[in-house]
Amino acid sequence: MAQRHIKKHHVAIVLLHWFNAISWLLELSTGAGLIVSPYYRFAPMWYLQMMEGVFGSRANMLRFHIAVGLTWTAVFLVYAIFGFRNYLRIEVLQNEIGLDRDDVRWLRVRTLLLLGRTKDPLPPQGVYNAGQKLFALLVYTMVPLIMLTGLTMTFHWFGTAFVAWAMVLHFFAVGMVVSGLMIHVYMGAVFPEEKPAFYSMITGVVDELYAYRHHFKWWRSVKIQQQAWRAELTSKEEAIGTDEKPHQDPRTDAAPLISRPQSGDRR
Amino acid sequence: MPRYAMVIDQERCVGCQSCTVACKSEWEVPNGSARTKVRQTGTVGQFPKLSTAFYVSQCNHCDRPTCVPACPTGATYQDQNGVVRVNRDLCIGCGSCVAACPYGARYINAEIGKVDKCDFCASRLSRGLQPACVATCPAHAKIFGDLEDSSSDVFQFVYRGAAKRMETANIAIGPNVYYAGKPEHAELALASFAPLPPRTLAPGKVWSSLLNKFVFLAVGATFLGQAVAFFHQLSTGEKQFEE
Repeated sequence: MAQRHIKKHHVAIVLLHWFNAISWLLELSTGAGLIVSPYYRFAPMWYLQMMEGVFGSRANMLRFHIAVGLTWTAVFLVYAIFGFRNYLRIEVLQNEIGLDRDDVRWLRVRTLLLLGRTKDPLPPQGVYNAGQKLFALLVYTMVPLIMLTGLTMTFHWFGTAFVAWAMVLHFFAVGMVVSGLMIHVYMGAVFPEEKPAFYSMITGVVDELYAYRHHFKWWRSVKIQQQAWRAELTSKEEAIGTDEKPHQDPRTDAAPLISRPQSGDRR
Repeated sequence: MPRYAMVIDQERCVGCQSCTVACKSEWEVPNGSARTKVRQTGTVGQFPKLSTAFYVSQCNHCDRPTCVPACPTGATYQDQNGVVRVNRDLCIGCGSCVAACPYGARYINAEIGKVDKCDFCASRLSRGLQPACVATCPAHAKIFGDLEDSSSDVFQFVYRGAAKRMETANIAIGPNVYYAGKPEHAELALASFAPLPPRTLAPGKVWSSLLNKFVFLAVGATFLGQAVAFFHQLSTGEKQFEE
Protein backbone atom coordinates (compact mmCIF):
# COMPACT_ATOMS: atom_id res chain seq x y z
CA MET A 1 0.00 0.00 0.00
CA ALA A 2 1.46 3.32 -1.02
CA GLN A 3 1.81 5.73 1.84
CA ARG A 4 1.92 9.48 1.95
CA HIS A 5 5.36 10.74 2.89
CA ILE A 6 6.57 13.10 5.55
CA LYS A 7 9.85 14.87 5.00
CA LYS A 8 12.31 13.93 7.71
CA HIS A 9 15.77 15.00 6.56
CA HIS A 10 16.97 18.03 4.64
CA VAL A 11 19.03 17.08 1.59
CA ALA A 12 22.06 18.76 3.21
CA ILE A 13 21.72 16.41 6.17
CA VAL A 14 21.46 13.40 3.87
CA LEU A 15 24.62 14.41 2.06
CA LEU A 16 26.43 15.21 5.31
CA HIS A 17 25.42 11.86 6.76
CA TRP A 18 26.92 9.89 3.88
CA PHE A 19 30.01 12.08 3.72
CA ASN A 20 30.40 11.38 7.43
CA ALA A 21 29.85 7.65 6.94
CA ILE A 22 32.48 7.42 4.20
CA SER A 23 34.92 9.50 6.24
CA TRP A 24 34.44 7.21 9.25
CA LEU A 25 34.95 4.12 7.14
CA LEU A 26 38.21 5.49 5.73
CA GLU A 27 39.44 6.87 9.04
CA LEU A 28 38.68 3.73 11.01
CA SER A 29 40.29 1.43 8.46
CA THR A 30 43.46 3.51 8.13
CA GLY A 31 43.58 4.41 11.83
CA ALA A 32 43.47 0.73 12.81
CA GLY A 33 46.30 0.08 10.35
CA LEU A 34 48.46 2.86 11.81
CA ILE A 35 48.62 1.63 15.41
CA VAL A 36 51.52 -0.81 15.49
CA SER A 37 52.82 -0.51 19.05
CA PRO A 38 52.02 -3.71 20.98
CA TYR A 39 50.83 -1.45 23.81
CA TYR A 40 48.02 -0.02 21.68
CA ARG A 41 47.57 -2.33 18.71
CA PHE A 42 44.29 -4.19 18.32
CA ALA A 43 44.18 -5.00 14.59
CA PRO A 44 45.77 -8.33 13.59
CA MET A 45 49.19 -8.33 11.98
CA TRP A 46 47.89 -9.43 8.57
CA TYR A 47 45.58 -6.42 8.54
CA LEU A 48 48.48 -4.03 9.21
CA GLN A 49 50.49 -5.61 6.40
CA MET A 50 47.51 -5.53 4.05
CA MET A 51 46.86 -1.84 4.71
CA GLU A 52 50.55 -1.06 4.31
CA GLY A 53 50.42 -2.87 0.98
CA VAL A 54 47.34 -0.95 -0.13
CA PHE A 55 48.95 2.42 0.56
CA GLY A 56 52.52 1.47 -0.33
CA SER A 57 53.86 2.63 3.01
CA ARG A 58 52.52 3.52 6.43
CA ALA A 59 53.70 7.10 5.94
CA ASN A 60 51.32 7.37 2.96
CA MET A 61 48.57 5.87 5.08
CA LEU A 62 49.18 8.47 7.78
CA ARG A 63 49.09 11.26 5.17
CA PHE A 64 45.80 9.89 3.87
CA HIS A 65 44.40 9.57 7.40
CA ILE A 66 45.35 13.18 8.13
CA ALA A 67 43.99 14.46 4.79
CA VAL A 68 40.61 12.78 5.27
CA GLY A 69 40.50 13.83 8.92
CA LEU A 70 41.23 17.47 8.10
CA THR A 71 38.60 17.49 5.34
CA TRP A 72 36.08 15.91 7.68
CA THR A 73 36.86 18.47 10.39
CA ALA A 74 36.69 21.35 7.90
CA VAL A 75 33.32 20.24 6.53
CA PHE A 76 31.82 20.00 10.00
CA LEU A 77 33.36 23.33 10.92
CA VAL A 78 31.67 24.94 7.91
CA TYR A 79 28.47 23.19 8.85
CA ALA A 80 28.76 24.50 12.40
CA ILE A 81 29.49 28.05 11.25
CA PHE A 82 26.60 28.26 8.79
CA GLY A 83 24.17 26.04 10.63
CA PHE A 84 24.65 26.86 14.26
CA ARG A 85 21.72 29.30 14.41
CA ASN A 86 19.46 26.62 12.96
CA TYR A 87 20.74 23.65 14.86
CA LEU A 88 22.14 24.89 18.13
CA ARG A 89 18.73 25.86 19.48
CA ILE A 90 17.16 24.49 22.64
CA GLU A 91 14.16 23.03 20.78
CA VAL A 92 16.39 21.29 18.25
CA LEU A 93 18.76 19.98 20.90
CA GLN A 94 15.76 18.84 22.93
CA ASN A 95 14.66 16.85 19.88
CA GLU A 96 18.11 15.43 19.29
CA ILE A 97 19.60 14.69 22.70
CA GLY A 98 17.04 15.58 25.40
CA LEU A 99 15.70 12.43 27.06
CA ASP A 100 12.20 12.67 28.54
CA ARG A 101 10.24 10.16 30.63
CA ASP A 102 8.91 8.37 27.53
CA ASP A 103 12.47 7.96 26.26
CA VAL A 104 13.63 6.31 29.46
CA ARG A 105 10.68 3.93 29.34
CA TRP A 106 11.36 3.31 25.65
CA LEU A 107 14.92 2.23 26.37
CA ARG A 108 13.70 -0.31 28.91
CA VAL A 109 10.90 -1.70 26.72
CA ARG A 110 13.11 -1.75 23.61
CA THR A 111 15.74 -3.80 25.43
CA LEU A 112 13.15 -6.23 26.79
CA LEU A 113 11.56 -6.55 23.35
CA LEU A 114 14.92 -7.45 21.82
CA LEU A 115 15.35 -10.12 24.48
CA GLY A 116 11.79 -11.31 23.90
CA ARG A 117 10.83 -10.66 27.54
CA THR A 118 7.85 -8.35 27.05
CA LYS A 119 4.90 -7.66 24.80
CA ASP A 120 4.43 -4.04 25.90
CA PRO A 121 4.03 -1.45 23.16
CA LEU A 122 6.87 1.01 22.75
CA PRO A 123 6.21 4.41 24.32
CA PRO A 124 5.65 7.25 21.83
CA GLN A 125 8.78 8.91 20.48
CA GLY A 126 9.72 12.25 19.01
CA VAL A 127 11.52 12.77 15.71
CA TYR A 128 14.42 10.72 17.09
CA ASN A 129 13.96 7.75 19.39
CA ALA A 130 15.77 7.38 22.68
CA GLY A 131 18.46 5.14 21.23
CA GLN A 132 19.23 7.67 18.54
CA LYS A 133 19.31 10.40 21.19
CA LEU A 134 21.79 8.46 23.33
CA PHE A 135 23.99 7.88 20.29
CA ALA A 136 23.75 11.58 19.37
CA LEU A 137 24.76 12.51 22.92
CA LEU A 138 27.78 10.24 22.68
CA VAL A 139 28.71 11.59 19.25
CA TYR A 140 28.25 15.24 20.27
CA THR A 141 30.67 14.81 23.16
CA MET A 142 33.21 12.55 21.47
CA VAL A 143 33.48 14.03 17.96
CA PRO A 144 34.84 17.42 19.12
CA LEU A 145 37.33 15.48 21.24
CA ILE A 146 38.36 13.40 18.23
CA MET A 147 38.80 16.53 16.11
CA LEU A 148 40.78 18.45 18.73
CA THR A 149 43.07 15.55 19.58
CA GLY A 150 43.58 14.81 15.88
CA LEU A 151 44.53 18.42 15.21
CA THR A 152 46.85 18.39 18.23
CA MET A 153 48.68 15.35 16.88
CA THR A 154 48.76 16.63 13.30
CA PHE A 155 50.14 20.07 14.12
CA HIS A 156 52.00 19.15 17.32
CA TRP A 157 49.99 21.71 19.28
CA PHE A 158 51.13 22.71 22.79
CA GLY A 159 54.10 20.36 22.75
CA THR A 160 54.93 16.76 23.46
CA ALA A 161 52.94 16.22 26.68
CA PHE A 162 49.74 17.34 24.98
CA VAL A 163 50.39 15.14 21.95
CA ALA A 164 50.88 12.10 24.19
CA TRP A 165 47.57 12.77 25.95
CA ALA A 166 45.85 13.60 22.67
CA MET A 167 46.84 10.20 21.31
CA VAL A 168 45.21 8.14 24.06
CA LEU A 169 42.16 10.42 24.18
CA HIS A 170 41.85 10.02 20.40
CA PHE A 171 41.83 6.23 20.81
CA PHE A 172 39.37 6.45 23.70
CA ALA A 173 36.92 8.79 21.95
CA VAL A 174 36.96 6.75 18.75
CA GLY A 175 36.41 3.57 20.77
CA MET A 176 33.41 5.10 22.51
CA VAL A 177 31.86 6.19 19.22
CA VAL A 178 32.53 2.78 17.69
CA SER A 179 30.68 1.10 20.54
CA GLY A 180 27.60 3.16 19.64
CA LEU A 181 28.27 3.00 15.92
CA MET A 182 27.86 -0.76 15.89
CA ILE A 183 24.30 -0.43 17.20
CA HIS A 184 23.67 2.52 14.88
CA VAL A 185 24.71 0.53 11.81
CA TYR A 186 22.92 -2.61 12.94
CA MET A 187 19.68 -0.76 13.67
CA GLY A 188 19.87 1.16 10.43
CA ALA A 189 20.97 -1.49 7.98
CA VAL A 190 20.00 -4.88 9.46
CA PHE A 191 17.20 -4.46 11.99
CA PRO A 192 13.92 -4.95 10.05
CA GLU A 193 11.63 -2.56 11.89
CA GLU A 194 13.88 0.45 11.38
CA LYS A 195 14.50 -0.02 7.66
CA PRO A 196 12.36 3.01 6.73
CA ALA A 197 14.75 5.09 8.84
CA PHE A 198 17.62 3.79 6.70
CA TYR A 199 15.82 4.66 3.46
CA SER A 200 14.93 8.08 4.86
CA MET A 201 18.67 8.77 4.94
CA ILE A 202 18.63 8.35 1.15
CA THR A 203 15.30 9.82 0.10
CA GLY A 204 14.87 12.25 2.99
CA VAL A 205 11.27 11.14 3.57
CA VAL A 206 9.48 8.48 5.64
CA ASP A 207 6.07 6.89 5.23
CA GLU A 208 3.34 8.35 7.37
CA LEU A 209 2.50 4.98 8.85
CA TYR A 210 6.11 4.47 9.91
CA ALA A 211 6.17 7.93 11.46
CA TYR A 212 2.86 7.23 13.18
CA ARG A 213 4.08 3.97 14.67
CA HIS A 214 7.69 4.78 15.49
CA HIS A 215 7.74 8.52 16.05
CA PHE A 216 4.20 9.23 17.20
CA LYS A 217 4.96 12.53 18.95
CA TRP A 218 6.73 13.84 15.87
CA TRP A 219 3.92 12.62 13.57
CA ARG A 220 1.39 14.40 15.80
CA SER A 221 3.33 17.65 15.75
CA VAL A 222 3.61 17.48 11.96
CA LYS A 223 -0.15 16.90 11.69
CA ILE A 224 -0.90 19.81 14.04
CA GLN A 225 1.34 22.03 11.94
CA GLN A 226 -0.44 20.94 8.77
CA GLN A 227 -3.84 21.62 10.36
CA ALA A 228 -2.77 25.05 11.45
CA TRP A 229 -1.41 25.78 8.00
CA ARG A 230 -4.63 24.65 6.32
CA ALA A 231 -6.76 26.68 8.72
CA GLU A 232 -4.66 29.74 8.00
CA LEU A 233 -5.03 29.31 4.23
CA THR A 234 -8.77 28.75 4.50
CA SER A 235 -9.27 31.82 6.63
CA LYS A 236 -7.27 33.88 4.15
CA GLU A 237 -9.46 32.69 1.28
CA GLU A 238 -12.57 33.50 3.22
CA ALA A 239 -11.27 36.96 3.91
CA ILE A 240 -10.55 37.53 0.20
CA GLY A 241 -13.92 36.03 -0.68
CA THR A 242 -12.94 34.02 -3.69
CA ASP A 243 -15.47 31.39 -4.59
CA GLU A 244 -14.02 30.23 -7.86
CA LYS A 245 -13.03 26.82 -6.61
CA PRO A 246 -12.50 25.26 -3.21
CA HIS A 247 -8.98 25.20 -1.88
CA GLN A 248 -7.03 22.05 -2.36
CA ASP A 249 -3.90 20.82 -0.74
CA PRO A 250 -1.26 21.90 -3.26
CA ARG A 251 0.45 18.54 -2.97
CA THR A 252 -2.66 16.62 -4.01
CA ASP A 253 -3.34 18.76 -7.07
CA ALA A 254 0.24 18.66 -8.24
CA ALA A 255 0.87 17.06 -11.60
CA PRO A 256 0.77 13.29 -11.36
CA LEU A 257 4.17 11.71 -11.40
CA ILE A 258 3.32 9.32 -14.19
CA SER A 259 1.39 11.03 -16.96
CA ARG A 260 0.39 9.70 -20.30
CA PRO A 261 2.72 10.87 -23.06
CA GLN A 262 1.15 13.74 -24.95
CA SER A 263 1.22 13.91 -28.72
CA GLY A 264 4.40 15.59 -29.86
CA ASP A 265 5.96 15.01 -26.45
CA ARG A 266 9.46 13.79 -27.12
CA ARG A 267 10.84 12.07 -24.08
CA MET B 1 74.17 -7.98 6.18
CA PRO B 2 76.45 -5.89 8.39
CA ARG B 3 75.82 -5.36 12.09
CA TYR B 4 77.07 -1.91 12.88
CA ALA B 5 78.58 -1.09 16.23
CA MET B 6 80.72 1.61 17.77
CA VAL B 7 83.54 1.42 20.26
CA ILE B 8 84.49 4.40 22.39
CA ASP B 9 87.99 4.22 23.75
CA GLN B 10 87.73 6.10 27.02
CA GLU B 11 91.47 6.15 27.41
CA ARG B 12 91.85 8.14 24.20
CA CYS B 13 88.90 10.47 24.75
CA VAL B 14 89.98 13.88 26.00
CA GLY B 15 86.47 15.36 26.28
CA CYS B 16 86.98 17.96 23.57
CA GLN B 17 83.32 17.77 22.33
CA SER B 18 84.45 17.72 18.69
CA CYS B 19 82.03 14.88 18.09
CA THR B 20 79.21 16.87 19.66
CA VAL B 21 79.89 19.84 17.39
CA ALA B 22 80.33 17.71 14.27
CA CYS B 23 77.04 15.95 14.96
CA LYS B 24 75.17 19.15 15.67
CA SER B 25 76.35 20.78 12.47
CA GLU B 26 75.75 17.65 10.41
CA TRP B 27 72.19 17.20 11.63
CA GLU B 28 71.17 20.78 12.48
CA VAL B 29 70.44 19.85 16.05
CA PRO B 30 68.78 22.79 17.84
CA ASN B 31 70.37 24.53 20.81
CA GLY B 32 69.97 22.72 24.09
CA SER B 33 69.72 19.29 22.47
CA ALA B 34 72.26 16.78 21.23
CA ARG B 35 72.34 13.46 19.45
CA THR B 36 75.68 12.77 21.07
CA LYS B 37 77.62 14.53 23.73
CA VAL B 38 80.57 13.95 26.04
CA ARG B 39 79.81 13.90 29.72
CA GLN B 40 82.35 13.92 32.53
CA THR B 41 81.95 11.84 35.64
CA GLY B 42 83.67 14.37 37.87
CA THR B 43 86.68 13.65 40.01
CA VAL B 44 86.57 10.74 42.40
CA GLY B 45 88.99 9.24 44.88
CA GLN B 46 91.44 10.63 47.42
CA PHE B 47 94.34 12.87 46.50
CA PRO B 48 96.77 11.94 45.03
CA LYS B 49 94.86 8.90 43.69
CA LEU B 50 92.24 10.82 41.73
CA SER B 51 90.49 9.64 38.63
CA THR B 52 87.86 10.81 36.18
CA ALA B 53 86.29 9.50 32.98
CA PHE B 54 84.61 10.82 29.89
CA TYR B 55 81.39 9.17 28.87
CA VAL B 56 80.20 9.66 25.30
CA SER B 57 76.44 9.25 25.34
CA GLN B 58 74.43 8.56 22.23
CA CYS B 59 71.94 6.04 20.87
CA ASN B 60 73.24 2.53 21.53
CA HIS B 61 71.25 0.83 18.73
CA CYS B 62 70.40 -1.94 21.17
CA ASP B 63 69.74 -5.54 20.21
CA ARG B 64 66.40 -5.41 22.06
CA PRO B 65 65.48 -1.72 21.85
CA THR B 66 62.80 -0.59 24.30
CA CYS B 67 61.99 2.46 22.17
CA VAL B 68 60.73 0.43 19.18
CA PRO B 69 57.72 -1.24 20.84
CA ALA B 70 56.97 2.00 22.69
CA CYS B 71 56.42 3.91 19.45
CA PRO B 72 52.66 3.86 18.71
CA THR B 73 52.95 4.50 14.97
CA GLY B 74 56.02 2.42 14.22
CA ALA B 75 58.03 5.52 13.31
CA THR B 76 60.92 4.09 15.33
CA TYR B 77 62.16 0.89 13.78
CA GLN B 78 65.31 -1.20 13.56
CA ASP B 79 67.04 -1.72 10.26
CA GLN B 80 68.39 -5.12 9.23
CA ASN B 81 71.88 -3.81 9.97
CA GLY B 82 70.89 -3.11 13.58
CA VAL B 83 70.63 0.67 13.28
CA VAL B 84 67.59 2.01 15.15
CA ARG B 85 66.07 4.76 13.04
CA VAL B 86 63.19 7.21 13.08
CA ASN B 87 60.85 7.67 10.13
CA ARG B 88 59.96 11.33 10.44
CA ASP B 89 56.95 10.93 8.16
CA LEU B 90 55.35 8.68 10.76
CA CYS B 91 56.53 10.38 13.96
CA ILE B 92 53.87 12.43 15.74
CA GLY B 93 56.21 13.61 18.49
CA CYS B 94 54.39 11.99 21.41
CA GLY B 95 57.58 11.36 23.35
CA SER B 96 56.79 7.72 24.26
CA CYS B 97 60.17 6.57 22.97
CA VAL B 98 62.01 9.36 24.80
CA ALA B 99 60.68 8.01 28.08
CA ALA B 100 61.34 4.41 27.06
CA CYS B 101 65.05 4.88 26.34
CA PRO B 102 67.23 3.87 29.32
CA TYR B 103 70.14 5.95 27.99
CA GLY B 104 68.37 9.27 27.45
CA ALA B 105 69.55 9.18 23.86
CA ARG B 106 66.44 10.74 22.35
CA TYR B 107 65.04 14.26 22.36
CA ILE B 108 62.07 16.01 20.79
CA ASN B 109 63.19 18.49 18.15
CA ALA B 110 60.90 21.39 19.04
CA GLU B 111 61.45 23.04 15.64
CA ILE B 112 59.88 20.16 13.73
CA GLY B 113 57.85 18.59 16.54
CA LYS B 114 59.36 15.18 15.98
CA VAL B 115 61.80 12.96 17.79
CA ASP B 116 65.45 12.87 16.80
CA LYS B 117 68.46 10.78 17.76
CA CYS B 118 71.68 9.28 16.48
CA ASP B 119 71.23 6.93 13.53
CA PHE B 120 74.97 6.29 13.01
CA CYS B 121 74.71 8.94 10.26
CA ALA B 122 72.70 6.54 8.09
CA SER B 123 72.83 8.84 5.08
CA ARG B 124 76.62 9.06 5.33
CA LEU B 125 76.89 5.28 5.72
CA SER B 126 74.92 4.79 2.52
CA ARG B 127 77.48 6.99 0.75
CA GLY B 128 80.33 4.89 2.17
CA LEU B 129 81.38 7.51 4.72
CA GLN B 130 82.02 7.14 8.43
CA PRO B 131 79.65 8.82 10.89
CA ALA B 132 80.45 12.52 11.32
CA CYS B 133 81.57 12.15 14.93
CA VAL B 134 83.94 9.29 14.05
CA ALA B 135 85.44 11.19 11.13
CA THR B 136 85.95 14.26 13.32
CA CYS B 137 87.35 12.74 16.52
CA PRO B 138 90.96 14.02 16.73
CA ALA B 139 92.05 11.28 19.12
CA HIS B 140 90.41 8.41 17.21
CA ALA B 141 88.53 7.60 20.35
CA LYS B 142 85.44 6.68 18.38
CA ILE B 143 85.77 3.54 16.28
CA PHE B 144 82.96 2.50 14.00
CA GLY B 145 82.53 -0.67 11.99
CA ASP B 146 80.85 -3.95 11.27
CA LEU B 147 80.67 -6.65 13.93
CA GLU B 148 80.14 -9.29 11.25
CA ASP B 149 83.47 -8.43 9.66
CA SER B 150 86.27 -10.16 11.59
CA SER B 151 88.88 -7.80 10.13
CA SER B 152 87.18 -4.66 11.37
CA ASP B 153 88.50 -2.66 14.31
CA VAL B 154 85.28 -2.96 16.25
CA PHE B 155 85.39 -6.74 15.89
CA GLN B 156 88.91 -6.72 17.36
CA PHE B 157 87.84 -4.49 20.25
CA VAL B 158 84.62 -6.35 21.04
CA TYR B 159 85.60 -9.98 20.54
CA ARG B 160 89.38 -9.92 21.09
CA GLY B 161 89.65 -7.01 23.50
CA ALA B 162 87.83 -6.01 26.63
CA ALA B 163 85.27 -3.54 25.31
CA LYS B 164 82.26 -3.44 27.61
CA ARG B 165 78.60 -2.73 27.17
CA MET B 166 77.03 -0.11 29.37
CA GLU B 167 74.64 -2.54 31.06
CA THR B 168 73.50 -3.27 34.58
CA ALA B 169 72.01 -6.45 36.01
CA ASN B 170 68.49 -5.02 35.62
CA ILE B 171 68.83 -3.18 32.34
CA ALA B 172 70.53 -5.33 29.75
CA ILE B 173 69.04 -4.71 26.33
CA GLY B 174 72.17 -5.30 24.29
CA PRO B 175 73.58 -1.85 23.53
CA ASN B 176 75.89 -1.79 20.52
CA VAL B 177 78.06 1.07 21.65
CA TYR B 178 80.97 -0.48 23.53
CA TYR B 179 83.40 1.18 25.90
CA ALA B 180 87.08 0.28 25.81
CA GLY B 181 90.03 1.53 27.79
CA LYS B 182 90.86 1.11 31.44
CA PRO B 183 88.20 -0.97 33.25
CA GLU B 184 87.92 1.62 36.01
CA HIS B 185 86.87 4.23 33.43
CA ALA B 186 83.98 2.10 32.29
CA GLU B 187 83.02 1.33 35.88
CA LEU B 188 83.14 4.99 36.79
CA ALA B 189 81.00 5.94 33.81
CA LEU B 190 78.52 3.19 34.62
CA ALA B 191 78.31 4.33 38.24
CA SER B 192 77.68 7.92 37.21
CA PHE B 193 75.46 7.45 34.15
CA ALA B 194 73.80 4.07 34.73
CA PRO B 195 70.96 3.23 32.35
CA LEU B 196 67.56 4.04 33.85
CA PRO B 197 64.57 1.70 33.78
CA PRO B 198 62.38 2.37 30.71
CA ARG B 199 59.45 4.61 31.62
CA THR B 200 55.90 4.72 30.30
CA LEU B 201 54.36 8.18 30.03
CA ALA B 202 51.36 9.00 32.22
CA PRO B 203 48.88 8.88 29.27
CA GLY B 204 50.17 5.44 28.34
CA LYS B 205 49.68 4.24 31.93
CA VAL B 206 46.15 5.68 32.05
CA TRP B 207 45.39 4.00 28.73
CA SER B 208 46.63 0.56 29.73
CA SER B 209 45.19 0.61 33.24
CA LEU B 210 41.84 2.33 32.65
CA LEU B 211 40.86 3.68 29.24
CA ASN B 212 41.47 0.57 27.17
CA LYS B 213 39.39 -1.52 29.57
CA PHE B 214 36.61 1.05 29.26
CA VAL B 215 36.75 0.95 25.47
CA PHE B 216 36.88 -2.82 25.20
CA LEU B 217 34.04 -3.15 27.71
CA ALA B 218 31.85 -0.67 25.83
CA VAL B 219 32.57 -2.14 22.41
CA GLY B 220 32.21 -5.69 23.72
CA ALA B 221 28.92 -4.95 25.45
CA THR B 222 27.33 -3.32 22.41
CA PHE B 223 28.64 -6.06 20.16
CA LEU B 224 27.13 -8.69 22.44
CA GLY B 225 23.85 -6.77 22.62
CA GLN B 226 23.56 -6.52 18.89
CA ALA B 227 24.49 -10.18 18.47
CA VAL B 228 21.65 -11.12 20.83
CA ALA B 229 19.28 -8.88 18.88
CA PHE B 230 20.44 -10.36 15.59
CA PHE B 231 19.87 -13.95 16.68
CA HIS B 232 16.50 -12.96 18.08
CA GLN B 233 15.72 -11.44 14.68
CA LEU B 234 16.84 -14.64 12.93
CA SER B 235 14.79 -16.86 15.23
CA THR B 236 11.57 -14.84 14.96
CA GLY B 237 11.91 -14.08 11.26
CA GLU B 238 11.06 -10.82 9.52
CA LYS B 239 7.53 -9.70 9.10
CA GLN B 240 6.70 -7.18 6.43
CA PHE B 241 5.90 -4.12 8.40
CA GLU B 242 4.53 -1.71 5.85
CA GLU B 243 1.91 -3.81 4.09
